[in-house]
Amino acid sequence: MSLINKKKIKSSLKAYLFLAPFLVAFGSMIVYPIGLGIKLSMYGQRGARMWYVGFENYTRIFNDPLFWESFKVPLFLLLVQVPVMLALGVMIAFMFETRKRSGAFYRLLYYLPYTIPGIVAGLVWSYIFSDSMSPLGPLFSLFGYTGKILTRGSVPSILLVIILWQFTGYTAFILYSSLIAIPREYAEAAQIDGAANWQIALRVKLPLLRDPLITLFIFNAIGAMQVFNEPRMLGDLVVLPPYYTPTMYIYSSAFSQGRFTYAAAMGIILAVLTCIISLYMLRTASKQILDRQH
Amino acid sequence: MNSASRSNRLVGIILFGLAAFFIFPFYWLTVGITKNVSQLFQKSLLPGVPSHLVDNVRNVFSYQNGVFLSWMGNSLLYATVGAFVGVLIASLAGFAFRRYDFYGKKLVFILILAFAMVPGFATTLPLFMLFRDLNLLDTRFAVLLPSMVNIFGVFMMIAYWNQVSEEVFDAAEIDGAHAWTIYWKIGLPNILPGAITLFLLAFVGAWNNFFLPLVVLNSRSRMPLILGITTMTDPQGFPIYNLTLTASFFTILPLLAVFISLQRYFKPQMYVR
Repeated sequence: MSLINKKKIKSSLKAYLFLAPFLVAFGSMIVYPIGLGIKLSMYGQRGARMWYVGFENYTRIFNDPLFWESFKVPLFLLLVQVPVMLALGVMIAFMFETRKRSGAFYRLLYYLPYTIPGIVAGLVWSYIFSDSMSPLGPLFSLFGYTGKILTRGSVPSILLVIILWQFTGYTAFILYSSLIAIPREYAEAAQIDGAANWQIALRVKLPLLRDPLITLFIFNAIGAMQVFNEPRMLGDLVVLPPYYTPTMYIYSSAFSQGRFTYAAAMGIILAVLTCIISLYMLRTASKQILDRQH
Repeated sequence: MNSASRSNRLVGIILFGLAAFFIFPFYWLTVGITKNVSQLFQKSLLPGVPSHLVDNVRNVFSYQNGVFLSWMGNSLLYATVGAFVGVLIASLAGFAFRRYDFYGKKLVFILILAFAMVPGFATTLPLFMLFRDLNLLDTRFAVLLPSMVNIFGVFMMIAYWNQVSEEVFDAAEIDGAHAWTIYWKIGLPNILPGAITLFLLAFVGAWNNFFLPLVVLNSRSRMPLILGITTMTDPQGFPIYNLTLTASFFTILPLLAVFISLQRYFKPQMYVR
């Protein structure tokens, strides 16, 4: 018994030596800042002076109409962009599947926008939609529209285009990878039963895409809530309020208005929301990783 | 024509049409960098005549005494060092989880997992305070240090290490190899492909990270490309569209080059954007 303990103590020592660099970095760059953020969120602030106020920042945030308004854009993206993108992704993945060999070029091409940073995507697209440079004028006048393309009212639709451009190919690629991993026997069995190709796709294969679709949905929901770079770049060409999205509101509260502790509290709320959204995925991920250990 | 070949043609047409949508901004950007401002304002889809490509490139590199070169160097430094150290640290942590049964194993794992989804927006503001107290604001460390934590990398590393069979380790241990030697000489070559994939993903992530440098940096000479290009204006503070476009082009060119040439290492991973 004591021999086993000694052995475990020894291996623990070794394990923590290997873990030490990560734990130090993780502790100082993630855990400590979160703790500091929670602490700051409980303080009132005027200039450099700070004092403890308990949960006052949080109650003020919940009564702050601008904070709630900043969720309009994320909500729009969650209700429109995410479903549209997942549907498009599934469709494209099935189309990729009909061209396993000759489609490699398309798969690469569709994936490319995913490697482009949101800042550059936002910048280039904002120019493409801008009044002074847009080559799309003739396209819009075809539909009888000759006014400005980039207005504050059209920004959500433009965000939709930018985000679809950035992530649809990636989504399709992930789903395609899941599709080609489905054992061929499944489709063959359905074929023998007389099912048509579209029926096999819909009834046999689509249900098997459930897990990647849930994960993609979660990632996109988180991304929608944190959208910052693209509207920031559009904001260079069209006036957007500083509370246009939650993260823009956090940033402007902290660095334009100097309300640091208020911004910290909003950051904590956003972090909690993110963790709630990702709970399901974390559970499955931890199960997978821990199970594989034994 | 039967229905199968008709639907096959329809798929071909849709794939082609979508390709046009995905390629369009790349085309417009490439064409755009051949134009000066007045040519951009002509809204044409064709390259500028006469071409101003050389002027634009020259002006980008001579902008404000060549600050653009500093931005490139900074981006390279932040992305390379951040990604490399991050992956190295993650591989050490993954090795600990793979090789040892230790006190608090589950607890440490759950702790890491619990913080995996914390958004950068929640940690960056307190990091600003922390770096201010440590006098690290507006230094390169303020960008480098946070990018060395790669939680996603730890999870992937645990998975990679799990694929290395037990016999490999046991054989080395019987030969009396030291734990460090086992990690370095025997383990690491086995997980190298995975480590390269992680490095590339982390490199792209750090190259594209905008919010952290935006918050912790002030001096233009320490900015990475992604932040620098958003600050390009003429002396009066007005935007210079052609230079910003050209600078954007050079910001994504290394990404595209790395991605296309090292495609086989970019296995699709679920990665938060």
